[in-house]
Amino acid sequence: MKIKEGYLLREVAGSNIVVPVGEGAMDFSGVITLNEVGAFIWKLLENDITKEEILKKMLEEYEVEKAVAEKDIEEYISSLRGAELIAD
Amino acid sequence: MLKKLKVADLNVKIELNHNRTISQSKDYEAEFDNYNININIPDEEYEELKKEIDYLSDDDMEYIYTGAAFYEALLHFKGFMLHSSGVVVDNYAYLFSADPGTGKSTHTSLWVEYFGKDRAKIINDDKPAIRMVDNKIYVYGTPWSGKTDQNINMKVPLGAIVFLERSDKNWIKQIEPKEAIPLILQQTLRPRDREVMIKLLDMLDIVLKNIRLYRLGCNISEEAVKVSYNGIKMEE
Repeated sequence: MKIKEGYLLREVAGSNIVVPVGEGAMDFSGVITLNEVGAFIWKLLENDITKEEILKKMLEEYEVEKAVAEKDIEEYISSLRGAELIAD
Repeated sequence: MLKKLKVADLNVKIELNHNRTISQSKDYEAEFDNYNININIPDEEYEELKKEIDYLSDDDMEYIYTGAAFYEALLHFKGFMLHSSGVVVDNYAYLFSADPGTGKSTHTSLWVEYFGKDRAKIINDDKPAIRMVDNKIYVYGTPWSGKTDQNINMKVPLGAIVFLERSDKNWIKQIEPKEAIPLILQQTLRPRDREVMIKLLDMLDIVLKNIRLYRLGCNISEEAVKVSYNGIKMEE
């Protein structure tokens, strides 16, 4: 799975923000703000990747229990799906 | 006819055929050989636009579309437009930004009334240009300033950005860049092209890190000016 085309993640004055670009920019004029972990996972999702691979990279990057990380990733991805930001 | 303008320290070659933009840009006419920006809306494109938007006069169409073209090009020169009314006092520009109809022009006109025309000037009543030049952030007047046509061809350091809202009581509060990001993105021209969007965001990064940001709630009174000026003024 990966993030749909047409979004740009950039750090602006300490915040990780996502804005639409390209064709989609006409339909959605908002801003999404991500926390640090959210931005970390978003960057991974810019290229095609599986949940297992995301979990592996999360555990390499952050000191977090596997079960907690798994739950966080699950929730985050389902919220991205809910917002129709993920293409399979 | 072809005009040469200097706007925000950029050489602008522009094709103008209607009175409003021609007269608005008189103070910006300049001589140069090499240009930074070329604005020429082809006749066919112009006719197409006119068919789509038939409630605008030729004068207003040219004014709006040449303005949009300039502000889009500005993004390539470490600059961007902020939809705001800009007032200059003691050589600093203070930008009051809000949706149309909120009262940003009303507020800055109260500043001019309070400080007098010699000390307070409207640099651009609707769409000032902000640019980084020699590592400093400046506000520029431009010929495109919305309904009121108020603008001055000058360059002044940016003092503060204020997001204005209506309120019965007057109050002012400094805000963090985080809170300002969505507000500022609502009040600028957002490019669709990815590379240009990166330029805008990188410019906003610099501005938000270096310029003080506020939210102001205000009514229409002299007290509103005092509250906002005392809250944001730059100390020399």
